Amino acid sequence: MSNLLASLVSSANTLEAYGRVLEATQNNVSNASTPGYAKQRIDLYALPFDPQGGATGGVRAGTLQSARNEYAEQAVRHQSTGLGYQQQLADSLTVLQTNFDITGNQGIPQALNTLLQSFSAWGATPDDPSARQTVLQRADALAQAFNQTANSVSSASRDTERQVGETVGQINQLVGQLQGYNQLALQGNKNDAGLSARVHSALEQLSSLADIQAVFIDDGSVSVTIGGQTPLLIGGQQYAISASLYEPADPPATNPLGPGQMRLQGWDGSDIANAGGQLGALVKLRNEVMPSLIGDRFQAGDLNLMAKQFADRVNQLLTGGDTNAGQPGVPIFQYNPDDPTSIASAIKVDTSVTPDQLAAISVGPPTVSNGVPLALSALAVPTQDADRINGFSFSQFYGQVAGAVGGLLNDSKNNADVQQSLLTQAKDLRQQYQGVSLDEEATTLMQFQRAYQANAKYLSVLDQLTQTAIDILKT
Amino acid sequence: MPVATVVEQLAAARLELDRAGDLLTSPSPGALDRCSSVLEAAGRRLTEWQPRLAEQAGDPEALAEAWRLRRSFRRTERLLQTAGDFHCNWIGLRGAMTGGYTSSGDPAPVLHGHRISLQG
Repeated sequence: MSNLLASLVSSANTLEAYGRVLEATQNNVSNASTPGYAKQRIDLYALPFDPQGGATGGVRAGTLQSARNEYAEQAVRHQSTGLGYQQQLADSLTVLQTNFDITGNQGIPQALNTLLQSFSAWGATPDDPSARQTVLQRADALAQAFNQTANSVSSASRDTERQVGETVGQINQLVGQLQGYNQLALQGNKNDAGLSARVHSALEQLSSLADIQAVFIDDGSVSVTIGGQTPLLIGGQQYAISASLYEPADPPATNPLGPGQMRLQGWDGSDIANAGGQLGALVKLRNEVMPSLIGDRFQAGDLNLMAKQFADRVNQLLTGGDTNAGQPGVPIFQYNPDDPTSIASAIKVDTSVTPDQLAAISVGPPTVSNGVPLALSALAVPTQDADRINGFSFSQFYGQVAGAVGGLLNDSKNNADVQQSLLTQAKDLRQQYQGVSLDEEATTLMQFQRAYQANAKYLSVLDQLTQTAIDILKT
Repeated sequence: MPVATVVEQLAAARLELDRAGDLLTSPSPGALDRCSSVLEAAGRRLTEWQPRLAEQAGDPEALAEAWRLRRSFRRTERLLQTAGDFHCNWIGLRGAMTGGYTSSGDPAPVLHGHRISLQG
């Protein structure tokens, strides 16, 4: 009778153990779509079976274990950071590129071409007042095209500053959530699968915004740093970061009136150099890409450089000639020479200049009645260094500036595509590594090593073949 | 040889590289084996057509397709490199977790013993 009771108790315990396994499986199914959730499992252990010694055997349920692999989680976050960076660059550069037409049908290239054409037309009829009037109108149109493009880039720069501020706000908010989760973990909930899911979901969101590192502590809390060394969260303490505009004192500014730079700082005022993710891309755009176009305290910017050199050369040629009335010519373009970063945005044509003040006669010797307009129209296809900018015609120079923006956009789009694939791959690997036994994994890893070696050999050959194809077709 | 044929061959090689890249986004051992076959096919195709590329030297359409092929190669290369690094680092981590570090500071190798892996 005692054996029968023991068997019944054993069976009941076994059913309870299976019930717990079933509950864990049911919970996994229910949370299949929960962001950040990792499968849980309960291992079963055989109990000793020795009827003579009174051991009735059966099975015992082990403790609930998470199948989460933090190494795979970290790989997903790393790729998420890369995608955030490239995607933000692509999005922002798409907007910026709309200001840089390369077809020649609008904006600066169109205005430049029509002005150069008006110089040619004036050269054909140097005494025609309407030709001079057209020159003034088209010079004004070019000045406005410079103003519009530079102001649009300035506007994009300010918009980027705003986005930096918003992104920093989002980061602080997400870290605030993680701080709350840490407090829950420290209160004894460190094995809560739901809490773990929320923590990992927040970390994944955070990783697309910035390059963060997360370290899980034995007490169940997570410590988070940004850019490799600046703390965001340690235990129950959050360390907020901030963004601000600043004017670095060292090195001395070459353009003191130019805009300052965007700076990211940790809680203690230390600089965050490589924020990565969306934030890193926004800072790069604000501190590097846009200043290369509209300038800052350390550079004039290509648009300002072009506007200045073109205006200076046109003014120089006009003032070097004489009008039909024998008066010296007057300059038409005006800008503030004290602020090299505002030339493109504020350049204008002097409205007091009248058509008869435009000098057509080059004094020589020999005196040429249409010498000045001919010299001006030569700016289209320059033959002397004074008509060039950095060794190029003004149209070519603009093409290079626009091409650089387009090239950056193209690169970032391609990189974003690759990063998207890498993130998909990392998520797949995370899925593969959840809940795999070490024994099973060892076999898989050996297969992987062999397969990688084979693929690497083929890729090495393809590297040469694809490059050779380009080299042959280029020649 | 018409330009279209060269472009078609380059595009076909690119599609093979794209397919290899897609396989690598889910890098199971089986997918990697299939990837090897696809890469081999792409390599064979390019080797076969390479002598005829010179006939289309300077053709912008063919060059544009060659650049697309190169970009596709770069994507595939990056995916293989990243997946390889992932597993390589994981093997190192497993070694350090189970066997600690060697006297030179490297993770201890994971000893798998002698295994026979059978698959249906």
